[in-house]
Amino acid sequence: MNTPLDQEPEDLRYAEYVLGVLDADARAAVEREIAADPHAAAEVARWQRCLLPMAEDIPATAPPAHVWTRIESALGMQQTTRRESTRPARVGWWSNLALWRGFAFGAAAVAAACIIALIVLPRATVTPAPAVAYMASTIMQTDGQVGWTATMDLAHARMVVVPAKPQSLPAGRAPELWLIPAGRKPIAVGMIAASGPTTLALDKALVAQLGPTAALAVSVEPPGGSPTGQPTGPVIAKGAIGAAAPGKPVAMLWNPANGRDHA
Amino acid sequence: MVTSSDDAAELTGLMRACADGDRAAFATLYRRTSDKLFGVCLRMLRERGEAEDALQDVYTNVWRRAGSFDSARAAAMTWLITLARNQCIDRLRRHREEPLDGAAAQQIIDPDPDPPARSQASEERRRLEHCLGTLADQQRQIVRAAFFSGATYNQLADRLGVPLATMKSWIRRSLIRLRTCMEQTEANP
Repeated sequence: MNTPLDQEPEDLRYAEYVLGVLDADARAAVEREIAADPHAAAEVARWQRCLLPMAEDIPATAPPAHVWTRIESALGMQQTTRRESTRPARVGWWSNLALWRGFAFGAAAVAAACIIALIVLPRATVTPAPAVAYMASTIMQTDGQVGWTATMDLAHARMVVVPAKPQSLPAGRAPELWLIPAGRKPIAVGMIAASGPTTLALDKALVAQLGPTAALAVSVEPPGGSPTGQPTGPVIAKGAIGAAAPGKPVAMLWNPANGRDHA
Repeated sequence: MVTSSDDAAELTGLMRACADGDRAAFATLYRRTSDKLFGVCLRMLRERGEAEDALQDVYTNVWRRAGSFDSARAAAMTWLITLARNQCIDRLRRHREEPLDGAAAQQIIDPDPDPPARSQASEERRRLEHCLGTLADQQRQIVRAAFFSGATYNQLADRLGVPLATMKSWIRRSLIRLRTCMEQTEANP
């Protein structure tokens, strides 16, 4: 009762941020400060050194092997590091590469994948189908050939990207996938494989941008991804995003009001 | 938890190699640290599938952002745990602004850690424990509950049935006391 708290609550926002008690808006405000102000970043780092040792009390728990497989896949690493994996991962239908490879060739691949996904899978897995289940994109190369096909599973916030055929890229370069909302700057989605399917986890902000006015594009980047957050190499393929069920209007499928976010 | 300086130096080296695009180093870093980070995700999210998704996002971020790791500012393990905690807190804010049910609310207050865990703790952990020990029992438990649950002030107030202003006052007062105590022990270890 002797501490004049009401006069200095601002002083504690970095501590409150590290402790984790701020709401989403206040957290975002502190994160903007950290990015812009070295003093704020130093204060946050000081509180991390102070409070993070509490995490030593948390017991370590081995994650299942399929998490590593998914990480490799999301980063487009499965081509070189899959052989190093010691255990085969437990895979669901979504991670079934043979399934996606099978769908990858031919112009009807995306539609076929999505019709099957829409019709068969919701029943097979006995989960209620969300308002918008899947979207798809055929990402065309500049020469008019299909470069990659992308299928977006909105309920699980993930995307499978499959090359129509193995893509050749300059040595030391890798393809990176971008989402381009209409009239906006590209947003990095992730590194994709040049010669195999890639599953990418999509964050919430990115899922919210998926829709018929957005496009996907592939650019050629260093293996770790564009260092600038924007495409730095040539764009080699581009495609529009559509709802993945033939015969249904996009607007009906894509109704943000029916989104799964209940926050 | 990685505590020895050799381990810390190894992790720092692995982080730098990741920043240079070394995939083998990334795989080693995962093997060395993912058990701890998965423990953190499980503790905060309390749901296995979501903890797996969070862990995946944490390590894809580790790979993409390894270049921003600054060993002068934070130890590698601190950086990694911070990334995991931030990922979990962001997920909690997106999906679970609504109050948890009664069973989850009951779990919010954890008992203090067992004495054996304390004896294995790092120097930093022992110092923090000493400073947490200067708080009243309830205040200490609320700070721990906040840290481990990632709950907002509002959620903590709801779950413990106290006004929001009271919860803020308790936590802010505790943070000020911790800061003062940590500054003193830093000056006089």
